[in-house]
Amino acid sequence: MDATLIKNFLNTTAKVMMEEKDHLIEADSIVGDGDLGLTMSDGFTAASDAIKENPIQDCGKLLYTAGKAMSTAVPSTMGTLMASGLMSAGKTLKGKTELTREDILSLFDAFLSGVIHLGKAKQGEKTFIDGFAPGCDALHATADVQLKESAKAAADASMKGYLGTKGMLAIHGRAATRGEASRALLDPGAYVGALLFKGFYLSLE
Amino acid sequence: MKKIINKPENYVKEMLEGLYVAHPDLITYTAGDLHCLVTANKKEGKVGIATGGGSGHLPLFLGYVGKGMLDACSVGDVFQSPSAEQMLACTKYINSGAGVLYIYGNYNGDIFNFDMAAEQADFEEDIRVESVVAGDDVASAAPTKPGEKNTRRGVAGIVFVYKCAGAAADAMLDLDEVKRIALKACANVRTMGVALTPCIVPRVGKPGFSIADDEMEIGMGIHGETGIRRGKLEPADQIAEEMVVKILADIPFSQGDEVAVMVNGLGATPLDEQYIIVRKVDELLKKAGLKIHRYYVGEYATSLEMAGISISLLKLDEELKKYLDAPAQTPFFVQL
Repeated sequence: MDATLIKNFLNTTAKVMMEEKDHLIEADSIVGDGDLGLTMSDGFTAASDAIKENPIQDCGKLLYTAGKAMSTAVPSTMGTLMASGLMSAGKTLKGKTELTREDILSLFDAFLSGVIHLGKAKQGEKTFIDGFAPGCDALHATADVQLKESAKAAADASMKGYLGTKGMLAIHGRAATRGEASRALLDPGAYVGALLFKGFYLSLE
Repeated sequence: MKKIINKPENYVKEMLEGLYVAHPDLITYTAGDLHCLVTANKKEGKVGIATGGGSGHLPLFLGYVGKGMLDACSVGDVFQSPSAEQMLACTKYINSGAGVLYIYGNYNGDIFNFDMAAEQADFEEDIRVESVVAGDDVASAAPTKPGEKNTRRGVAGIVFVYKCAGAAADAMLDLDEVKRIALKACANVRTMGVALTPCIVPRVGKPGFSIADDEMEIGMGIHGETGIRRGKLEPADQIAEEMVVKILADIPFSQGDEVAVMVNGLGATPLDEQYIIVRKVDELLKKAGLKIHRYYVGEYATSLEMAGISISLLKLDEELKKYLDAPAQTPFFVQL
């Protein structure tokens, strides 16, 4: 597995975000300011475009470059968090032109820690992390099965994580101003987390 | 929507073009990006001070770049954060070896981008960056307990932080000292606002919230965030009293303490009305036993065409007073 895996992952994720644009806008209009669908489709498209034709073989540098493109294209809260995830994954994989299974686990773990580092949120606080972290856990738990199968397990787990945000109390962002009433809603950020693993799984097909 | 604009999507770009035309002696831009506004009078060896934020708040934020105040401002779209990349470009331009201090308001988008820019400045450019986040809006959250993170929004009071930190940097203090002054100003500034009408983001084209003709909202944020209470519009004296009482209850002060006062129009309230407020504020502060060192009256931090005002108090000690009184010259702030 080489740089192609990174390019395919971001390209497919950009397509997934595009397909889900209206759904994200709708979900975000209820709890945020409604631009999540635009920022995620624009942001992942910019990230993917930045490396699509890039001759660099260093997987870390590609991810870092994609993250910078994301942060420039969509400096919104979520855009910057995703950029931080990509750049953090990039720093972790710097110098690698070939990726082992271990490296793929590191990629997603570093993405998660990049988001946590910037956003200062914890699991259970109704954010992106609640959709994304279960996917990372599932990747680890299935590290001995075929990659595609493992990615499918991660996609399923992260979707389940997203659905589990109903009932959680929002602590961050505009959703938090609703207090207890926020419990009834699903978190659109967590949906983005689930869509990232969906993108990863589909990119392996 | 009634506005003197061309295309809504060109609002920020054309505003910036106008500023560069009008103030070439004070400001310019870097990295080929109009949104990366920097001082035209870079002073070698000085700590650089950068700010940034969404457009729609003129003279905040970019209006305070110039001599004796800020060195750079990255400019976002209306009510939206500029990018980390733009902040990084400004940081590189204003760094002259003494490091850079970021001073910005307490908003998630800005915090994330400035944090990311600081990390990139360190990781990619070896520039030392420190950050101070201003959160002066008494209406937005309870006072912070020791050790707790301040969750209050940053509003007009940040101008006092710019002024004191800017003067400290201009006096060639080092980064740690400039940061200390900025933190001290932050700890001693409080603001309360009142809004009477909503504002229209040009690209949205309609008001972002509604408020009845005969109503006001005490404590509303500069993007229309919820305040403390909404009620019938009251006479100026009553509005001033409610705001001053809330500020004084929040800022620990003793009889004889000196303060600087800012009465700020939010965009559509005439100076006449601001001075009606000043008259009452003066009476209330003197009654409370405070000495007023100086007044700033006018538009310092606006919200497009929102009607309303804010009142900010900065409690002074000799050090802050010295830096507040130092001369400065920017497109929107001149003090001899």
